[in-house]
Amino acid sequence: MPPLKVLIAEDSDSDRLILARLIQKLGHQVLEAVDGAEAVELFGLHQPDLVLLDALMPRMDGMEAARQIKWLAADRLVPVVFLTSLSETADLAQCLEAGGDDFLIKPYNSAILEAKIRAFNRMRVLHLELAEQHAQIQRQNERLLEEQRLALRVFENVAHTGCLDAANIRHYASPLSVFNGDVLFASQRPGGGLLVFLGDFTGHGLPAAIGAMPVAEIFYGMAARGFDGPDILREINRKLQRILPVGMFCCGAMIESDFKHGLLRVWNGGLPDGWLVRADGERVAIPSRHLPLGVQDPQRFSASMVVLNTSPGDWLVLMTDGFSESRNQLGECLGEEVVREVLADLGAGQSPFEPLMERISEHTGEPLPADDLTLCCLQIVDDNTEEAQAGRLSESALSGATDWRCVYELREQTLAEFSPLPMLLHICMEVPGLRRKSGEIYTLLSELYNNALEHGVLALSSEWKVSAGGFSRYYQERERRLADTDGHFIRFELSHRPRLGGGCLTIRCEDSGEGFVFAEASDTVSASQPVSGTTYSGRGLEILRRMSSHLQVHGAGNCVEIVYEWMLPGETGHGGNGPMMMENSR
Amino acid sequence: MPIYTRRSDDGQALTIQVEGRFDFSTHQAFRDAYEHNDPSVSEYIVDLSDTTYLDSSALGMLLLLRDHAGGDNARISIRNCNVDVRRILSISNFEQLFSIH
Amino acid sequence: MNDKPHLDVEALAELQDVMEHEFDLLIQTYLADSTTRLDALKTALEEKDADQFAKTAHSLKGSCINMGAPRLGGFCFEAEQLGKSGDLGGAGEVLARIDAEFEEVARRLRHFGADA
Repeated sequence: MPPLKVLIAEDSDSDRLILARLIQKLGHQVLEAVDGAEAVELFGLHQPDLVLLDALMPRMDGMEAARQIKWLAADRLVPVVFLTSLSETADLAQCLEAGGDDFLIKPYNSAILEAKIRAFNRMRVLHLELAEQHAQIQRQNERLLEEQRLALRVFENVAHTGCLDAANIRHYASPLSVFNGDVLFASQRPGGGLLVFLGDFTGHGLPAAIGAMPVAEIFYGMAARGFDGPDILREINRKLQRILPVGMFCCGAMIESDFKHGLLRVWNGGLPDGWLVRADGERVAIPSRHLPLGVQDPQRFSASMVVLNTSPGDWLVLMTDGFSESRNQLGECLGEEVVREVLADLGAGQSPFEPLMERISEHTGEPLPADDLTLCCLQIVDDNTEEAQAGRLSESALSGATDWRCVYELREQTLAEFSPLPMLLHICMEVPGLRRKSGEIYTLLSELYNNALEHGVLALSSEWKVSAGGFSRYYQERERRLADTDGHFIRFELSHRPRLGGGCLTIRCEDSGEGFVFAEASDTVSASQPVSGTTYSGRGLEILRRMSSHLQVHGAGNCVEIVYEWMLPGETGHGGNGPMMMENSR
Repeated sequence: MPIYTRRSDDGQALTIQVEGRFDFSTHQAFRDAYEHNDPSVSEYIVDLSDTTYLDSSALGMLLLLRDHAGGDNARISIRNCNVDVRRILSISNFEQLFSIH
Repeated sequence: MNDKPHLDVEALAELQDVMEHEFDLLIQTYLADSTTRLDALKTALEEKDADQFAKTAHSLKGSCINMGAPRLGGFCFEAEQLGKSGDLGGAGEVLARIDAEFEEVARRLRHFGADA
């Protein structure tokens, strides 16, 4: 045992002398006080390990000294032993109440004193160890929290809020929800509209949070490059299936909202029913129809989305099972039925978000829901208002890639395996200010590309698409012909020139097909057109015609060039919908 | 959450019965129920007649059993689920992976 | 009255062991301290301060017990009880016994010390 510092307070000189020598003989250091007041003073100065107090002393008695010493010691364990001659039990009880830990009865006995000091030292050491362990746990906990804060910052850099702050999205997600495995992402689509993903990983803490990172990266990365819901779902599933251990997965829902055409595409794999609440009060359930993400191998994974019609004022509701599993003080779950009740009571066009949140607080008695609840409500809006929001995202000074030209050619088997559209769109979006036109640019690129591929390279006839049977034949044939694209190519030539307050984008798309027939020739259509060949899809050309300011068909009709002139709002000059330079028939 | 197992007379089918809550606390016991069985077991029956509750970690445990029993070739049937348990299995579309009676 | 011995020789021998060359000092200290306390007891009695009488008797009792003077300790206990009861009626008689016993203990202690 290491030597201890022992404080003794005793007003009798002879008793103090005996006690001091006894303790010194046991190898400890002694501090002597003649009364309670001096004992308290010495305690404050020297922080002794053990205190022996006579109960009755002048100036300040032992009980008051014990009280003050215990207060000074705070969390430190300092045993206080009262020195007494056998007396009435009531006095002993009083000493204990004052914070005394034990008694030492006169006459002093070396063996008993030694045993008591040993016992108290064991207690003291144990207390120190506990305190050290406690401090260590606290330090670890603080480090863990700090790591969580750091991890959260990294996560937020990847899984930024996207457009969750848009006026038509109401959501609740705890800042720490990622550590409960919940994720909520939203992104504007380059082609217009919105993508929303809500996910709920199995488990809690770090294992649940780890999967969130790649999902965020895939979602925002692919959404920005124009991929649609099923592509992103397939990629998320493929990734999670590869990285997550068996038994871990992510329940999720993907929503693709096309405000322009009033369409909503939904996919639910393992989340509770989502709801479309129409402005007229009708409620359409969006039940889980798929396995959660990360369970099924890529070949069997189904990313097929259900299509719903929507109108402005409709609301879409998605939630994790934290909603129905919220418990009140009695431990009772809220249940799924409550969601239906709340939605049924909504007024026309009323946001379901606030009533649902209120219902939760009512049930739990807490102002905020637990960390494992995420709720997202999306209001279907008029296309124009949404467009206005999209513009807000990207405006910056007109500096950057404004004057450039590039050629990109896809050949042979690549035609069957790869879509160049996201990448081409990405190049165009590098032009400052053009991002707000991304929807139109994407449409132009995809119409040109699809026409070049399907009617040029694959020589499919759009006439087949007129009948229902022909439609499926068209797509069967498309699959079949894609298997043999030897010797074929599609070449994109893009160039952009800046203009005051806007710019001019020229897209030329040439394919290796036989060319198109234009029944009603006009001035700008090349005179040398083959009589045989496939008819150009009328509808696609109509779109190109409307959206560009200039369209020209070159060569055998297998090369189409469009000019897209654009202006930022508030600038003078004409925008994308310029006069037609060419007419043609379907 | 005790877990009971029994073998069919021919030894080829193993029935795992989960009593009470089937959640993360059952994790080790559920694994022990099938992991140390001899290779003659070719079919698994998960009897949930006495299961009152099932959460997503239980779904994960079922996937682990499926993996252990041969993945896509696994023969596992889940039987006697109550309405709540059945609902959770169907929200997750586990009918696609298990035969659920 | 009590039939305890004037001195507990065994206890004193142990003290001698502990104190070594300071044993004499201890005895001188005890005697000086006790003389002071005896005076304090007399004063308390004169002033009819029962509380002070009890406290002083208590302290004296403690050091007597430690010093191996059990009979004197016993008398002090009697005095303490009287003081606590608030009735100092019989205190004069007890104090006289304490006085006499202290003389006896002092004599024997000096003798014991000289022997050592």
